[in-house]
Amino acid sequence: MKSGLAFVTASGIAWNSGRVLVVALCMFALPSVFGHGYYLNTLNFVAVFALPAIGLSLLSGLCGQLAISHGAFFAIGAYGSAILTLRLGLNPLLASALTQAIVIVISAAIGSLVLRLRGHYLAIATLSFSIIVEVLIKESPRLTGGQQGMTAIPPYHLGALRLDSDVAVYFAYWSMTLLLLWFALNLAQSRIGRIMRAIREGEPVVDSLGISAAQNKTLIYIVSSVFAGLGGSMYAHFVAFVTPATGSIMFAIDIIMVLALGGFDRLWGALIGVALITLLNEYALGFADYKRIILGFSLVSVMLVFPRGLLPGLIELLLRPLRRSAS
Amino acid sequence: MMLSVRAATKLFGGLAALRDVSFDLAKGEIKAVIGPNGAGKTTMFHLITGILRPTSGRIEFAGRSVEGLSALQIARLGIARTFQQPQIFRSLTVLENVMLGADRSGRSGLLACGLGLPRTRLEERRQIAAAHEYLAFTGMADHAQRIASDLPLGEQRYVEITRALATGASLLLLDEPAAGLDETETEQLSALILRIRDRGTTVLLIEHHMKFVMGIADSVLVLNFGAWLADGTPAEVRSSPAVIDAYLGTAENA
Repeated sequence: MKSGLAFVTASGIAWNSGRVLVVALCMFALPSVFGHGYYLNTLNFVAVFALPAIGLSLLSGLCGQLAISHGAFFAIGAYGSAILTLRLGLNPLLASALTQAIVIVISAAIGSLVLRLRGHYLAIATLSFSIIVEVLIKESPRLTGGQQGMTAIPPYHLGALRLDSDVAVYFAYWSMTLLLLWFALNLAQSRIGRIMRAIREGEPVVDSLGISAAQNKTLIYIVSSVFAGLGGSMYAHFVAFVTPATGSIMFAIDIIMVLALGGFDRLWGALIGVALITLLNEYALGFADYKRIILGFSLVSVMLVFPRGLLPGLIELLLRPLRRSAS
Repeated sequence: MMLSVRAATKLFGGLAALRDVSFDLAKGEIKAVIGPNGAGKTTMFHLITGILRPTSGRIEFAGRSVEGLSALQIARLGIARTFQQPQIFRSLTVLENVMLGADRSGRSGLLACGLGLPRTRLEERRQIAAAHEYLAFTGMADHAQRIASDLPLGEQRYVEITRALATGASLLLLDEPAAGLDETETEQLSALILRIRDRGTTVLLIEHHMKFVMGIADSVLVLNFGAWLADGTPAEVRSSPAVIDAYLGTAENA
């Protein structure tokens, strides 16, 4: 992977496209192999929750900035979609687009205020922001339904096409998520990705080269937040209801822990981490009781043993003797 | 004048790190700033590059006052620097480090990068080619694909110099570039700095290594405890009694 980062340019983009395409083909083949079972519903959740995780991976893994606002933007995405469709009667596609515009405005405001500073200000500011969002959602029952939340949010539809079955959502959502993963992979290998990795290593030096660290951090924060907001909109139009639990601060912390599991600076790791946790949660009996323990363990292991994430760390640990015997 | 410093003073609390120092640097000149530790050399660099603000005094770059400008804005005017401890991007390759130096020529925005548009790829290839040219100029071409932190200190310094050159700066500030180098390496560095000047870049450098300084500098500024002590050609400075007293004499004895 280390040398892989050096493969910028066309070959890198072709490599991304190839890998994403292979995964897409495998995912799209699943329904015809295993039928239209309940597992599609679970996988739809993976597609939705992968987006805030990929977004945070861009920001934290590549750019080294920790934000705790991905739950809040997920909630803003979900509630924005719910309010615009239910209260104003907009088409879900239009509602989702408008909601992302709101996410862009808010994240740009937070980013330009906070990201001029270095260090942990972003984490603190976004934590406060998340608390405010959670309180606002709970305390504005006329707009958000308060503690009860909102139900009967319509699914995405355009003309005769209506995403009202698990299998329809499956194809649409996985296309979207893999497309956005492809976008993020390309971004990471481009000049913007290079600037992001440089910022992670030393902002003053980035500035000394005439590249604005603050401006680029804000840009990535906005993109990263839109990933979370889109996930929220897709969530609302999939499960058809939202409650204050949607995108709570605990959700934001779960995403951070999922990255600790799948690997912070691997965008694929974000997807794999989410898939692992969601599937275990659904199919491993009693896993839900231990979920937080496993995630917490990943987080501690990141701090103490495997700074790049638990899974990448374990894989490297397992591969090391193999490599040694090979050489 | 490429750079003009007038009565620059920097106080930290009541302590003067730099007191009333003035000097000029002409285009195409190599000037060395020498002086014992604590003389204010690095503070002078910080003032010129905007990392610190002068308490009083005036700094002009290419006829323009840099007062109130941030380090970022000053870098964009065309001043590049290296640091005493090489500040390379450690986990990036040497090539990527140099490409970041040249990044300001990049036009591809976020969407173009994410979509991998053909013009973005073309630009990327062009920047790679440009970075390779700079690496060839500094003799680092063989190391392009190496992770920067894997290189020994001397070569990390070359990465930094190459990256600074790639910004296209007209003024290059080098903070102790020869520290830790052996004799052969120092000679190679001298040759490189002369070639950098020959391609039209003005150089201001801090150095302790006397033989190195006297060999390449057109002029030498001597600082002592934050104060101006002497400024002139290497020969003039060497024969200045004040300098011999404060610095060179002791250095030769040591």
